Amino acid sequence: MPNYKISDILENPSNTQKLYGYSGKIARINLTTREVSYLDTYQYVPKYVGGRMLIHRIFWDEVPAGTGAFDEGNKFIYMNGPTTGTGIPAGGRSAACAIGPSVLPEQFTFGNIGGWFATELKYAGYDGFIIEGKSEEHVYIKIEDDKIEILPADDLWGMRVHQTQAALEEKHGHDFKSMVIGPAGENLVRIASITTSNDCALAKGGFGAVWGSKGLKAVTVHGTGMVAPADIETLKRLRLTMNNPSMTPSPILHLDRLGVPGGEFEVKYDRGNVACSPGCNQRCNALLMNGVSAFEDEPVNHIEKCVSASTFGYQADIPAPVGMFWPTKQNYCAPCKLLGRDFPAPDFSDPDFEAQGKVILPDTYDLWKPDYERGTIVNDLCNEYGIDKWEIDVWLQTWLGMGKKEHLFDDTDLGTGLEVDVENTDFIRTFIDNMVYRKGKYGDLFAEGMARAIRALGYDKYSETVYHGRHSQMLDGQRLDIPVSLEGGWGQSVHWQGRGYEGSVEKPTWLAACIIRMLSTRDANTVEHFHSEFEHHAEAMADPYHSPNLIRAIINVQNNAEIKDSVMSCEWQSPNPWWPTMEAEMYQAATGYEMTAEELHEAACRSKLLMRAILIRNHGRCRKMEIEQVWRVMSIPDSWGEVADWQQWNEMVDLVYEARGWDLETGWPYRETYEKYGLKDVADEMERLGLLPTRPAERWHDYGEAPYVQFVENCKQEQAV
Amino acid sequence: MGEKTYAAEPRTPEELAGYANHIVQYSPEYSLCTGCETCMILCGLSHEGFTGPGNSRIKVELGTRSMLHRIAACQQCADHPCYEACPKKGEAMKIDEKGIVYIDEDFCIGCGLCAKNCKFQPTRIAMKKDKVHKEWKAVKCDLCRDNPEGPQCVKWCPVRCLGLSEESVFAPDGAKPAELDAE
Repeated sequence: MPNYKISDILENPSNTQKLYGYSGKIARINLTTREVSYLDTYQYVPKYVGGRMLIHRIFWDEVPAGTGAFDEGNKFIYMNGPTTGTGIPAGGRSAACAIGPSVLPEQFTFGNIGGWFATELKYAGYDGFIIEGKSEEHVYIKIEDDKIEILPADDLWGMRVHQTQAALEEKHGHDFKSMVIGPAGENLVRIASITTSNDCALAKGGFGAVWGSKGLKAVTVHGTGMVAPADIETLKRLRLTMNNPSMTPSPILHLDRLGVPGGEFEVKYDRGNVACSPGCNQRCNALLMNGVSAFEDEPVNHIEKCVSASTFGYQADIPAPVGMFWPTKQNYCAPCKLLGRDFPAPDFSDPDFEAQGKVILPDTYDLWKPDYERGTIVNDLCNEYGIDKWEIDVWLQTWLGMGKKEHLFDDTDLGTGLEVDVENTDFIRTFIDNMVYRKGKYGDLFAEGMARAIRALGYDKYSETVYHGRHSQMLDGQRLDIPVSLEGGWGQSVHWQGRGYEGSVEKPTWLAACIIRMLSTRDANTVEHFHSEFEHHAEAMADPYHSPNLIRAIINVQNNAEIKDSVMSCEWQSPNPWWPTMEAEMYQAATGYEMTAEELHEAACRSKLLMRAILIRNHGRCRKMEIEQVWRVMSIPDSWGEVADWQQWNEMVDLVYEARGWDLETGWPYRETYEKYGLKDVADEMERLGLLPTRPAERWHDYGEAPYVQFVENCKQEQAV
Repeated sequence: MGEKTYAAEPRTPEELAGYANHIVQYSPEYSLCTGCETCMILCGLSHEGFTGPGNSRIKVELGTRSMLHRIAACQQCADHPCYEACPKKGEAMKIDEKGIVYIDEDFCIGCGLCAKNCKFQPTRIAMKKDKVHKEWKAVKCDLCRDNPEGPQCVKWCPVRCLGLSEESVFAPDGAKPAELDAE
């Protein structure tokens, strides 16, 4: 039964700390046995806060080593947070995890998602659910308050994303909110997403294929209960202060230019700004209206975020001002304000105004000309089939464009019956169709994701061939070579890593992005964007590998990401460098529990440790494994022609490991590190498994030789010629 | 019995003459509803101290595909069929000096006749559920008549796409009631 009165929450005998904000239970839905049972949320909180922190604990407890992405033992764990449904801005988002099929090699991974689903689930009385087992038949899960049913989905199977959402509303009523997979998930395409309203997607990790492997098409929910924040006055204050909402009208804009500065082109279109989820005080999502549909005659509306901008045209990369990563207090502006075009006027009295506003001019690639209709169709294909746009926009399309110019496809049509041509909408559409439905040799191959497909085709040729069409605007147009495959680590596309997509950033920024990627299992730069105060910029630029404040900032970014995904906020709202207690105030307003910012950071460290323990126990994570994942991308010249130095990079990794309390040689946390954060049971288990390091008598520094990178060798050979 | 026909929301000054002051959604050309449901959430918080669809006196009809959203609030009909249908009218449902129909929960017996007799679709009267305590209460917009700040949905809307009908007729900056198509 959902909660209907505040007394239902406070008189719950399990709620010994009298916490507001939570619903109190987590559903466990087993698709093999078709049994539903419940976990008590209050056995985990406030220690594990909610969202991703709670997910890490449950995953550690329940999913053993050796579990593969498509195994019956893989679990999809989904959680909202204590702020969800309260009206605290950005609390409408939610977090999820599973062993991710898109990750190479398959590993535990995570994501977060907006939409109305998370709040509706809270109204139904749940802080989250665990989906385990596998169904022999195609099914969907219907949750209506305390009634959870596993229902046949044969009539839904095969439907695209929006068709499925509409069919569920038709069946059960408009009040039901759904998360669904499209044909890509059904066909176990490793980059398949799970999608909910507002075109919000759990796109990273390939969770759509996890659902497909379980025979699960959708989860639909309606709740009639309530959510109670503890402190409504603080909540109201947060609404008016979190990233200074302008509280002004937001009309539909009739525009005639699209694209990022420097890469704009003329096209007439209408744009509105909308929120991704209930309770937000911002309007950062761009609603592009009346676009061309890939499937229907009628025009359609799309939500577009940063990544999909490139699909409209990619001749140059994205320009980024220094202050985007290194803001000053006077000119700090949260990403939600930038994306919603709701930013305040610049403060010219800022003594660092010019320095922080300096724009790094992006590299040029000349891959596809601006074409609004083509871009809209490609994005619609991603939305409707349920696939990760990052893989398509950043990796597949650039690979096709660069590969074509380097003659990789002179003797193949990649199974399309058409000349390989990234600018040809028919070609792209046919290629994606083949992939989603696993048609033919290449369709089946690319359904495994770019990383696996390229390795199957031949890594040295199809990944490491040199593309000669990249030029640096920071070096007066000098050619800078780059491999045709923009892989950034763990089988995911590059992102803010100093080269490739969103690549023109300074060395400290891309070193930080590479560290963050290295320690994750996915493109963490969509959920752990690097930021640090501008006052530390000079120190980081002077010696980026050994800057204490850069190391501190990296740790902060990682911890803040845990907090944001657990208290439940948004990457575009949180953190605010000059309001370090914001998330603690959000948590207190939601729950009434007096958790300080310091305690919240301790909880984040605990959660990061749990994820580290999962990666070590389940996937053999160690220093060598993770360093090799990102070394290739750092061996490619940045926009100034520079690459990473192996010795100094290792010294930087040492500093991060030491700050975390991990062993330098293995990258494994010490017992005292686990125990410091209340994870003695985890330390005991790691010791039993032989995965607990002992401190060496002398400081370890045997870095060995840098890993071989074929692309580097190819460049040397070309230069020799 | 024939199928019930529903009224269209008043738009012109002539149509508005049949309604007391009420919440309106402005045209998207003035301000586009973001779908944030802040109006629903703050309605619940200000009246009940908690949120939830049954606790809101205003509803956002979400456009799942179009992502264009319609606000459904009580239009404060001058002929108030909800009031007329109430078996406890004068006690459970009352009319104030401005023509605003409001509910006194102490006397509401939860029969739902007010909701059924609303002339709009969806009904502008929600039923607040309390299955545990077997109590049902009608929930209806009263323009926050006891709150000196006025309607909280209007106050807290982050994009100012909500207003009052009396002001919208003479609204500044071209604001006018919305003409969104339902999905």
